[in-house]
Amino acid sequence: MKFDEDPRIRVSRKILALAWLFFSLYLAAIMGLSFNVGTEPYLWGLPRWVAIGNIIVPVVFVLLLIFVAERFIPDVPMTEDTGDTEEER
Amino acid sequence: MNWAIVSFLAYTGILIAIGVWSYRIVEKVPITKYENEFYAAGRGLGGIVVALIIAGGLASAGTFIAGPGMTYAYGYSWVLINNFQIFMNLLLLAPIGIIVGIVARRVNAVTYLDIFRARYQSRAIIVILTLFVTVFLLPYMATQFVGAARVIARMTGMGYLASLALGSLVVLVYCVLGGMRGTSLATLIQGIVITLGCIVLFVGTVVYAGGFQRSTEILAAQDINFLSPSMGGAFPPMFAFSLACLTGYFIVGMPHAMLGALTYKNTRALKRGIWMGAILVLLWTLLLCMAGVIGRSLVPDLAVPDEIAPWLAMHVVPEALGGIVLAGIVAGIQTTVAAMAIIITSSIASNLLRELKPDVSAERVKFASRVTMGACLAIAIGFALLQPRLIQWIIFFSIGGLVTATFGPILLGLFWKRGNQWGAIASICWGMVIYGLGNTVVPQMSLWGTHPSFVAVISSVIVYVLVSSATPPPSEEIARTFWGKR
Repeated sequence: MKFDEDPRIRVSRKILALAWLFFSLYLAAIMGLSFNVGTEPYLWGLPRWVAIGNIIVPVVFVLLLIFVAERFIPDVPMTEDTGDTEEER
Repeated sequence: MNWAIVSFLAYTGILIAIGVWSYRIVEKVPITKYENEFYAAGRGLGGIVVALIIAGGLASAGTFIAGPGMTYAYGYSWVLINNFQIFMNLLLLAPIGIIVGIVARRVNAVTYLDIFRARYQSRAIIVILTLFVTVFLLPYMATQFVGAARVIARMTGMGYLASLALGSLVVLVYCVLGGMRGTSLATLIQGIVITLGCIVLFVGTVVYAGGFQRSTEILAAQDINFLSPSMGGAFPPMFAFSLACLTGYFIVGMPHAMLGALTYKNTRALKRGIWMGAILVLLWTLLLCMAGVIGRSLVPDLAVPDEIAPWLAMHVVPEALGGIVLAGIVAGIQTTVAAMAIIITSSIASNLLRELKPDVSAERVKFASRVTMGACLAIAIGFALLQPRLIQWIIFFSIGGLVTATFGPILLGLFWKRGNQWGAIASICWGMVIYGLGNTVVPQMSLWGTHPSFVAVISSVIVYVLVSSATPPPSEEIARTFWGKR
C-alpha cells in the first residue's frame, strides 16, 4: 500500500528547523556579545555586556519572534475528519 | 494588620474558589469524557492560557527563588545563564506542537504517555517512563514546596510548617478537584499576579538601590567578578552552553511542558502561546534576576542567597505591594507544581493502570486519578519537610534526568519513521546509566565542564539511532497514524 505523507508533517518539520535556527541565532548573539563586548564603559549604569547582550538582545529577539511566529508558522487544520479549519473559529 | 498576609490570603481564597468551581464543571462531564476533561481541559485552551501553562510550568522556583538567588550569589553571570530559558515555549511548541496536536486528535491522546503508547506500542516503555518521570518529578515538586514555604515564612513570620501547609494545600485543592480545567483557570490568574509581582519587585529594588550606576559601583567594590559574564572563570562558556542546551534544545523532552501541546485549541492558539510565552518568561526572568543581583548591593551578607527575593519584597516595596510580590512568587511555584501533578497522575492513574489492567472502568480511572494526585502531592510535601538547602542544583538534576529519559524518544519518535521501541528503551536505559554515573562516581564524564545531562542526552540519541537501525522497523500502521495522510 502506497504511503502518502500528510502535508502537515512537512510543515511541522519546517517549524522545527525554524525554531532551532531562531534559538541558535539567539544563542550566538547573546553569548557572542556577552563574552566579547566587555564591561566598561557602562551603559545605562550597567556593565556594557549586560545592557547589550542581556537586555537589548533578548528584547529584540522576543519582538522578532512575534513577527516570525505570525509570519512563518502557517494556520493548519488540526483535525481531518470534521473539516475543522482555522477560518471557522 | 499585616497587609502582606491579607493580600496573600485573598489570593489563596480565589484559588480555592477556582478549585471548587472547576470541580463542579468536571463532575458534570459524562464519565466517558472525564479523562479528556480532567487531563486536557477538553482540548480547547486558547493562546494566552497555553502560553501560561507552558511558561508557568517550566519557570519554577528555579526562576522565582533560585534565579535571583543565583544572581545574588554569582552576579551578572547568572543573568546570562537564566536568559537562555526565554524561548522555551518556542522550543517546545514549535518542534512538536503541531505533530502532537495531530496525533493526539487521531488516537484521542490526553496524556503525554498516550503519545508514547501510540508511537511505540510498548508496555515496557510506559512502565519505565512512569518510573523515571515519577522519580525525577517528585523531588522537583518538593523543591517547589520548599521554595514557596520559605517565601511565605520569611514574609509573614509564620513557621515553616504552617507556611508549607498554606502554600501547598491550596494546590492540592484546585488540582485534585479541578484537574486541568482548574489548573488552567488558576494559571491565568497566577500569570497576572506573577507578572505584577515581578514588575513591582524590580522597580522597587532599582529605586531603593539608587539606580543601576550606584548599584554597579557597589558590586564592583564588593567583587569585580560580579560584573563578569563567567564570574571570573567559574562558569566558562562551555558550561553556559550546556545549560543553554538543557533549558533550550533539550526542553522538548520535559513531560510537564507537553501539557500545552496536548491542550491547545488550534494553530492560532499555538502561535500566540509561542510568542506570548516568550514575553512572559522574558519579563519574569530578567526582572527577577536583575533584582537579585542589584539586591547584592543592598544587603551583601544574606546567609541563604535564595532568600534575596523575599528579603527585597519585605524591604524595598510597601507592605501591601509586598503581598502581591509574595503571591506572585508563590503563584509561579504553584503553576509548576500543578503541571507536574497532572503529569505524574496521568502517568500512574491513567497510563500505567490501563497497561496493567486493560479492562479497568472509567469510574475506576476517575477515582484513581484523584487518589494518585492527592498521594503524589502529599509525598512531595513530605519531602519538603526535609528542607534541602540548595534547591537550584536539585532542580537542574531533575530537569537533566527528565530530558535524558525523554528527549530522544520524543523528538526522534515524532520525526524519524525508522525509530522503534527497542531504540527508545535502549536510549532511556543508556541515558539513565550515563546520567547516574556522571552525577556520582564518574564526574569526568561531563566533558569540557558541561552539565552531566549534556553527554547523557547526546549519547542516548546516538544509542536510539544505532539500536533502531539494527532492529526491525515499526509497523506501517504506526507510520500511517503519525505521518500518513487520511
